[in-house]
Amino acid sequence: MNRVQRLLIASTLSATLVAAVPASADIAVVVNAGSGIDRLTRSDVVNIFMGRYRKLPTGNVALPVDSSSLKARFYRALVDKDLAEINSYWARLVFSGEASPPQQIVSIGDVHQLVIQNMNALGYVDSSQVPADMHVVLTLSE
Amino acid sequence: MSRLLLLLHTRLALRTTAIILLIVTLLGVLFLALAVYLRAESVQREQQSRVQELLTTVERTAQIGCFLGDRQLAQEVTDGLLSNNIVSAVRIDSSDGTILASGRADPEGEPAASVVRDVSSPFEPGTSVCRITVAPDQAYIDKLVAQASNFIGGALLLQLIGIGFCVVLVVVKFVTRPITGLSHRLSELEAETGQQLQAPRGNKDDEIGQLVISVNAMIDNLVQSLGEERRLRLEREVEERRYRAIFDNVEAGIFELDSAGFVRSANPAFLRLFDMASGTDLERHPVAFASLVGDGEGEMHAFAVDDEAGGYERQWEVALDSGERQRWISLILSPLETGRLQGVAHDVTERRKAADAAERMAMTDALTGLGNRRGFDHRLAVMARHHRLYPERCHALITLDFDHFKQINDTYGHPVGDRALCHVGDILAGLMRQRDYVARLGGDEFVVLLEGCNQRSDVEVVLERFLHRLRKPLEVEGDIEIVIGVSIGIAMVGLDTDDAEQAVRFSDIAMYAAKRAGRNTWRFYEPVTQS
Repeated sequence: MNRVQRLLIASTLSATLVAAVPASADIAVVVNAGSGIDRLTRSDVVNIFMGRYRKLPTGNVALPVDSSSLKARFYRALVDKDLAEINSYWARLVFSGEASPPQQIVSIGDVHQLVIQNMNALGYVDSSQVPADMHVVLTLSE
Repeated sequence: MSRLLLLLHTRLALRTTAIILLIVTLLGVLFLALAVYLRAESVQREQQSRVQELLTTVERTAQIGCFLGDRQLAQEVTDGLLSNNIVSAVRIDSSDGTILASGRADPEGEPAASVVRDVSSPFEPGTSVCRITVAPDQAYIDKLVAQASNFIGGALLLQLIGIGFCVVLVVVKFVTRPITGLSHRLSELEAETGQQLQAPRGNKDDEIGQLVISVNAMIDNLVQSLGEERRLRLEREVEERRYRAIFDNVEAGIFELDSAGFVRSANPAFLRLFDMASGTDLERHPVAFASLVGDGEGEMHAFAVDDEAGGYERQWEVALDSGERQRWISLILSPLETGRLQGVAHDVTERRKAADAAERMAMTDALTGLGNRRGFDHRLAVMARHHRLYPERCHALITLDFDHFKQINDTYGHPVGDRALCHVGDILAGLMRQRDYVARLGGDEFVVLLEGCNQRSDVEVVLERFLHRLRKPLEVEGDIEIVIGVSIGIAMVGLDTDDAEQAVRFSDIAMYAAKRAGRNTWRFYEPVTQS
């Protein structure tokens, strides 16, 4: 299924390059349903994922996670930058130690796992596949 | 300093160069100031744009630093900017008001107009996260401007020296040299021979050539007028010689008087006329004209001076008594110029003598050689005038008439009658003084004028002597002797009357009274005899 999904995404991406982006392919930023966070603004999400603020509105330290499969689409949708730019951004900050990049997770399932376990975790999934036990705080349209 | 001034005064090239250099220097200073000003402006702009470029270079890092509020990164950006020598101070203000980082390169340097850049979030272009303020280093800018100014100034100075040198060369070559050469040639030119000035090579058609043409034209004119002058002088010399020949050889005396009445020059004829030595140097020893003319000195002098002012010609005659003979000289004076009179003197003695002789003849009785009626009238008029002038002096007027003269004529013939008339005339003439006058009025009637005869007794003395001589008989034709009787009437002018004409009538009346008294006697006019 994953493979099929990936193929689909790949075909969708290639279609996106050629034609208009389909409305169904949005990305949802999700938290644990019990985290107490209802909604986040785009700025809040940018600040958290780009390392500016560590704290959530609840006062807890946020734990953003990147999932490799959606990473390129997510950053394109969030800050309109490609992965190389995002990487160079973080590379610049490695030595200062002031901020650190989100935790890198390969599969969607792992993201799901982490969000379920950690109340302060913040992840993103395809909006069409949001699990029931996660709460969507922001939908990024592509 | 004074030597320099002298050089400037005497050297055209130096003066021209100095003036041109002065102008170029002034213009240079003006241009330099303008260039420095423009250069300063452009350096300012350049530095501003360089600062902007620098800011663009560090902007991404600054964005991140500001985005994260990372002081270390911000300080890194600040230090990086300060490492450029055009930046004197940098400050990064976060958008929430805190100063993220700041620094100064040179604490004493004066900051110029700051460049401010708002830095936006790297992820949200519209959102400002901080503001970078960069102050460029004014000292560094000034140094750049000074360098540029020095370069321009140096270039201008070099140009100035070059221009000065070139101007000196050009002026010396094209102006000074030709003029000096020209002046040298002109000073050696013998213009009176008609020699012409040559234009320097290469200057034939320019202003110097024009100058040469003008000078040559002037030389031509000079030579021409010199020739004309020479010709006129020659002509005048000939004129003068001609005049001199006339002056020396003419019979008329020609002379010149100055305003003081002195004879300044005279020809030989004049010297002869006035009996002066032929070698008399009148130039050195002027002779007063009045002293030559003699009588009427004062009148003559005044006349000579007056005439100069009057400006018209005057002629008169003077009598000269030089020794044995009297001479008459006619003088004509005409003004020559202010203070000079020219005179011509003629010897008119002969003409004058002839005129006098004619006059005398007209007034003389042909038979007796005494005066006639015309002469008597003239003399009577003179006496009347004299009496009017000096009324206190008396004169006697005597009328004589022969007794029985008709009988002499009838008896002995007219020649004897004429002899008798001459005899009586001779006796009368012998008795008269110089001033007295005897005339035969016609027939046997004689008149005598005794001048200055104040008393009747004086007249009587004369008449006594006359009658006494008359008593001696006149011998005619051998043995015939005749005795002549005369009746005489006398009137005294001044005593009897003051009118000469009346005196004639009175003496006539007195003569008839003498005839009535028995003839051969005399009678004075007496008013009672009228009745």
